[in-house]
Amino acid sequence: MSGWEGGWAFAMMTCKEVSTLMSMGGPADARWRVRLAVRLHLSMCRHCRAFKRQLEALTKTARTLSASLDADLPKDFEATLSKSLHRKP
Amino acid sequence: MAFRERDLLEGLRGRDPAAIREVVDQQGRRIFRAARGLGFSPSDAEDLAQEVFLTFLETLDRFEGRSAVGTWLFGILHHKAQERRRSHAREDSTDALEEAFEKRFDANGSWLRPPVDADRLVESRETGEALRDCLAGLPAQQREVFQLRQVEDLSATDVARIVGGTTNHVGVLLHRARVRLRACLDGKGVGRSR
Repeated sequence: MSGWEGGWAFAMMTCKEVSTLMSMGGPADARWRVRLAVRLHLSMCRHCRAFKRQLEALTKTARTLSASLDADLPKDFEATLSKSLHRKP
Repeated sequence: MAFRERDLLEGLRGRDPAAIREVVDQQGRRIFRAARGLGFSPSDAEDLAQEVFLTFLETLDRFEGRSAVGTWLFGILHHKAQERRRSHAREDSTDALEEAFEKRFDANGSWLRPPVDADRLVESRETGEALRDCLAGLPAQQREVFQLRQVEDLSATDVARIVGGTTNHVGVLLHRARVRLRACLDGKGVGRSR
């Protein structure tokens, strides 16, 4: 099922290629042609846009979860840790 | 008073208590959280954080300032966590879930089972708890890469340096982690795909 909303089939990346690239960490490190192809694809494919939003939501949830781990921090964590390091030669 | 990084390093080399406190204040919680994110208990994470900073102080002479202090500390955490785990048997096995991801596309690379919108992955306590369970089920290396890339927001290059691989390998591990997490969350009924 294609989520394609545009008519340019030339030189375009497939949904599989785009979603795999995004899942591997995004096209930030890719060459400009690839980044451009991804942007074009996303502008015209609602399914890949949904996939991108899913990835972003997963990241956001993981960061919220990580921040909640502060509840596990022992009292005076930084002070205790600093003191323990002073004592070591 | 805040130290500039060069002054901070000088202070640390001299075991200046204010410099030590400064770096602990800047990075201590990040290291603790990352250790928790790698699956260690609160007390183990606290021990690990202490080991990381101790090793950092002992190896300061090798720190040339080419990477940020935080990245250097994550590198030490990686080695300390590995020492504690010792088991990497699952990392290189073929990931069946990756095949499930492949099956979501037809021969032309178009979606056969398109993703639903992210609205279903609403932020809630239940989602957080489900994700915590799913993270616990990840192979250690995938979990570490997910933590460093997605939670700590380190670059692929920094993570590759920390875990000792290529940026492409980091990408593959991140992709596997995300596929596995999606499948796990789907299995728990969170943001289920069509």
